[in-house]
Amino acid sequence: MGTLSLTVQESGTVSSLSDQAIETHGLTKRFKNFTAVDHLDLSVRRGEIYGFLGPNGAGKTTAIRMLCTLLSPSSGTASVDGYDIVKQGNDVRKRIGLVSEKMIMYPRLTALENLMFFGRLYGIERKALRKKSEELLEMVKLTTFKDKLVGGFSSGMKQRVNVIRAIIHDPDVLFLDEPTTALDPQSTRFVRDLVKELRQRGHTIVLTTHVMEEADELSDRVCIIDHGKIMAVGSPQALKDRYNTQNLLDVFLELTGRELRDSADGRISMRTPMGRM
Amino acid sequence: MAESITWDLALDIARRDLLDLWRARMLLFFFILFPILLMSMFGYMYPSVPKSNPNTGTIGTAFPNLPISLVKMDDGQTANLIAAQFIQISGQQGLFTVSETASYQAAHNQLVLGNIRGIVIIPQGFSDALVAGQPATVQVTVDETNPTTASVVQSEISAVFNIIGSSISAQNINKMDGGRVNPAFIMQPISVTRIPLITGVSSSFQFLAPGFMALTVVTGSLQGVATAISREKEQGTMDGLLVAPIPHRSIILGKVAAQTVRGLIQGSLILGLSMVFFGVQIYGSPIIMLIVLVLGTASFVGVGIIMTAIAPDQETAQMMTMILQFPMMFISGILFPIDQLPGWMQYIGKAMPLYYAADALRKVIILNASLATIMPEVIILVVYSFLTMTLAIPLFERAMRR
Repeated sequence: MGTLSLTVQESGTVSSLSDQAIETHGLTKRFKNFTAVDHLDLSVRRGEIYGFLGPNGAGKTTAIRMLCTLLSPSSGTASVDGYDIVKQGNDVRKRIGLVSEKMIMYPRLTALENLMFFGRLYGIERKALRKKSEELLEMVKLTTFKDKLVGGFSSGMKQRVNVIRAIIHDPDVLFLDEPTTALDPQSTRFVRDLVKELRQRGHTIVLTTHVMEEADELSDRVCIIDHGKIMAVGSPQALKDRYNTQNLLDVFLELTGRELRDSADGRISMRTPMGRM
Repeated sequence: MAESITWDLALDIARRDLLDLWRARMLLFFFILFPILLMSMFGYMYPSVPKSNPNTGTIGTAFPNLPISLVKMDDGQTANLIAAQFIQISGQQGLFTVSETASYQAAHNQLVLGNIRGIVIIPQGFSDALVAGQPATVQVTVDETNPTTASVVQSEISAVFNIIGSSISAQNINKMDGGRVNPAFIMQPISVTRIPLITGVSSSFQFLAPGFMALTVVTGSLQGVATAISREKEQGTMDGLLVAPIPHRSIILGKVAAQTVRGLIQGSLILGLSMVFFGVQIYGSPIIMLIVLVLGTASFVGVGIIMTAIAPDQETAQMMTMILQFPMMFISGILFPIDQLPGWMQYIGKAMPLYYAADALRKVIILNASLATIMPEVIILVVYSFLTMTLAIPLFERAMRR
């Protein structure tokens, strides 16, 4: 039980020191000879929407996967809600929700069954879980489809299920990795409003997107990274002011350049042997 | 990490995996078709053999009504009589369809063409020899391109002539001493009767069915676990499991449990079919059978997990299990007894846990072995389970967090 008391102490110290939901110090991930995330120092405040931006291959997904405990850092430290991502992985996992690029849902289960299945993984008692699932389905207007297999859903419907699946256990921190990619305008609008609604409910949200207008609309602060390093952090307005422009896209291009980022071969071969990302 | 297995979580995961199979109707169809196909194929390839019985003169055959030729080069009365008897007995017992051919050359041509499987020649002087009280010889040529039918034809022809020979001897002895002694006493003072190990119909299928059952359950779950884990990794749902505060062991256990249930369903289908259609009988306890099958699965499923940890995608994982599975089928004593293999191969075969699972299962099903009797096999399987799992779990954890 030594570890348990240590946990409480540590988390107590960290959260009393700051109201940061996420903090990283020199967080680094190297794959063989490629450095995906390079000494990243992030701090995400509790309750904010943190736009996490960068061109393809900048290291966004790798950083998020490390914060979600799906990937071990090569060096550096990070904490989520005051819990160390390496030493207190389970405490971190209890407090986070993930919407990744690939949808996390089983096509041969119904919407309700998917929510029930993933909810059970968080130890939520069946009756409460059912009630919660139905509320969330109601929130994303899928009540009439709750008993249909999600395999037959449109991508917009799937993404709505995917998002509420990630918040079934009321996580403090929610990671949304490109939640509106490949959605039609109606669904995009719906998901964006949903993200705002989730902030209202008190979730801290880390949002990655390639749509600058979306980052501008939703984020309290944005962080632009490239080559695994932070290029700039600030509120969208502050950044626009700093670079004397009317839109975030110009800021982004100013910081990351105009050259195309066709994913390097090194990165592809990096991915396949591990079958991830 | 001080994580313990959460059993109800494992159960949830297993239930979901099975629900997935149930909803994938086409997959389910082939899942059920597979053991049926396998069983009917091998069932008819290794048909039941009616038991031979020396008292009633029943021979019994696995290959009924094989076509053979009879070439009669002696036209004596005795030769004709014996030829007629041969044709009659062969027909009665369903051993051969005998056609008479005029010359050995003509019959030989037929054999080369594959129209007949053997030739019986009654040579010149056959009648004279018998009438003079001398032993006579019948010559046989068989189709040696097929060793199995060749030996069957040869031995069945001998068996028929034994029956004919015995009745001739009995007549002769009766003639000589006027029925004062029992002819059988003079012809065969000592005879050997087999007390069957198992009653009922003897069939090589009785040997095959338990082996197939073990094979299906063990390799099915090996491949199933590898496929299930790598599929979830590829489609992204594995992230949903890994990002939840649950021990990895529960995920593994849930997957293994679901695959074991799948394996047992297929295994039961195999056993059921071989009982209904191919006369296989169970003499042992179903509970011990279940124990052996579950242990067999546990002994090997770790290898499947190790493979998923290594393989980058589903396709590679499948290929890897296939490579392991296919040779195992031939050298673990499933299709034929392991004694048939060269020595070094026997060592490899005996290093496979499948060998012990199949062997134990056979002893239980056919010989009604108790748990104590199969204890050596059980211990070996437990040791295998322990070793492979100890290796598999940390490898899985590492692979998933890489």
